[in-house]
Amino acid sequence: MFLLLPFDSLIVNLLGISLTVLFTLLLVFIIVPAIFGVSFGIRKLYMKTLLKIFAWATLRMQRGAKEKNHQLYKPYTNGIIAKDPTSLEEEIKEIRRSGSSKALDNTPDFELSDIFYFCRKGMETIMDDEVTKRFSAEELESWNLLSRTNYNFQYISLRLTVLWGLGVLIRYCFLLPLRIALAFTGISLLVVGTTMVGYVPHGRSMEFRWRGEFQMNCLTLMSVPLHTFLKPRKNRPRNGGICVANHTSPIDVIILASDGYYAMVGQVHGGLMGVIQRAMVKACPHVWFERSEVKDRHLVAKRLTEHVKDKSKLPILIFPEGTCINNTSVMMFKKGSFEIGATVYPVAIKYDPQFGDAFWNSSKYGMVTYLLRMMTSWAIVCSVWYLPPMTRETNEDAVQFANRVKSAIARQGGLVDLLWDGGLKREKVKDTFKEEQQKLYSKMIVGNHEDRSRS
Amino acid sequence: MGNEASYPAEMCSHFDQDEIKRLGKRFKKLDLDKSGSLSVEEFLSMPELRYNPLLRRVIDIFDTDGSGEVDFKEFIVGASQFSVKGNEEQKLRFAFNIYDMDKDGYISNGELFQVLRMMVGSNLKDWQLQQLVDKTIIILDRDGDGKISFEEFSAVVRGLEIHKKLVLIV
Repeated sequence: MFLLLPFDSLIVNLLGISLTVLFTLLLVFIIVPAIFGVSFGIRKLYMKTLLKIFAWATLRMQRGAKEKNHQLYKPYTNGIIAKDPTSLEEEIKEIRRSGSSKALDNTPDFELSDIFYFCRKGMETIMDDEVTKRFSAEELESWNLLSRTNYNFQYISLRLTVLWGLGVLIRYCFLLPLRIALAFTGISLLVVGTTMVGYVPHGRSMEFRWRGEFQMNCLTLMSVPLHTFLKPRKNRPRNGGICVANHTSPIDVIILASDGYYAMVGQVHGGLMGVIQRAMVKACPHVWFERSEVKDRHLVAKRLTEHVKDKSKLPILIFPEGTCINNTSVMMFKKGSFEIGATVYPVAIKYDPQFGDAFWNSSKYGMVTYLLRMMTSWAIVCSVWYLPPMTRETNEDAVQFANRVKSAIARQGGLVDLLWDGGLKREKVKDTFKEEQQKLYSKMIVGNHEDRSRS
Repeated sequence: MGNEASYPAEMCSHFDQDEIKRLGKRFKKLDLDKSGSLSVEEFLSMPELRYNPLLRRVIDIFDTDGSGEVDFKEFIVGASQFSVKGNEEQKLRFAFNIYDMDKDGYISNGELFQVLRMMVGSNLKDWQLQQLVDKTIIILDRDGDGKISFEEFSAVVRGLEIHKKLVLIV
């Protein structure tokens, strides 16, 4: 037993020393440079190396598949069938035209062949629909050595497996603890710091800037594990404006807020998020809603308008989709924030899925599981584009304005522009859509009511 | 569901291994409760299908054993009728079956009325719909039995190059 005692204390000492060393290294090499905006270029090197490795791995897998003489399963990112978009009227007219020798007259009539359009559309949707696939993670075209993105794992070669194993080791034993330490430091600093700032009495109007700056620095810390490419420095949102962006994960907030001062809008959460939200309110005025209040749209609009009118307050950051989408498309923007009449500064955020998938599938993973997945990916890499500000024109309503902004964001980020509501992730679609289709078709076969009564 | 590899031999579908695998994945994704077959509810979970007034008819055609749900075999066989490699006869049959609700080989006046009713919803009155139905049957019914048989149907529809319209490239 006596022999164990010095051994014990040795281990404790070693642990203590290594922790101290780790923290010092952390401080010197990562935290301090991040705050001052200096970079050692380590990240770029890391990413280049990773890309080379992925390319090699893909080649190896293709070669392996060829040797075994079967096709390498490639998930089509655009869906498993080839579709061309046509409207009800066009297609039914075309079907009828190809059959009858009559001249192209628009007399309303019914043909047996009209069902073809509905059949095909139905089949296409069954095979591959545009909406539900946006609510789950995007499938990659080539494997990035993470088992979570593996759709076709077969033993191809020893080298590939070794590489994968090495990857697991690096990610779980080196990157994960590092990131957890950073996140922990960042969050504690945010909570402690903002509480302290909260005790400083409200004075002159310029003060929001320095509060905002403090918040920004804390969030920069939390964003260090992320690699962000920021595009032009002009077009930054100004006070009295609203910044809108497409939503993929809560990390969007960290990315944007570490690069500018914002007041945030969102639903009050419980747990860790709730703690952070309450801390942030102490430093700057954010607009957090209770879930019950969200339904009261007038209240929301009123609070937003008040905030925007006060020019000393920071610009609002809002995600009009209302929920997380998987970053391959932009879904319907809720018109609430576009009715207020303030200048809108659109921002497009696109993640590079090869290094790690940032999409938070909230129905599948909780917050903690999601964070763990984030921290054990290779990296989170995203590109942020600040687009020129837009205002509502005199002849367009809030919905048209929202769609215009959405198209601009989709175009810049290379995302698909969809009209569907992100809320469909959880709710069913209304039957009014079917009724519209039925109405359209009825017009085709009997024409307008006036024509009918005349004939 | 891991034994998709054994299906092709039994299923006389037009799909190759790769396509069946893809369709298998799709099936699994649609099968929300993992019961091994797709219910009407699970089909309706796709927002775009709610647009489609003929959904029930299509599901009915897939469901060859009348169980009310579509299992994987029925799914593949059903999808196969839309394959590029399918022949014209198969596709015409599919279209005919949309109308022929009781699967007796004839489209009766009542069946045509019901299918049309699905497509127009409540936008047309009964008498307007009945007029259209009667007119169509009079024109197409060659043998005067008051119903449309498969031959009479094909005669009208054959020239429309249906094999190009009812095709899905997987």
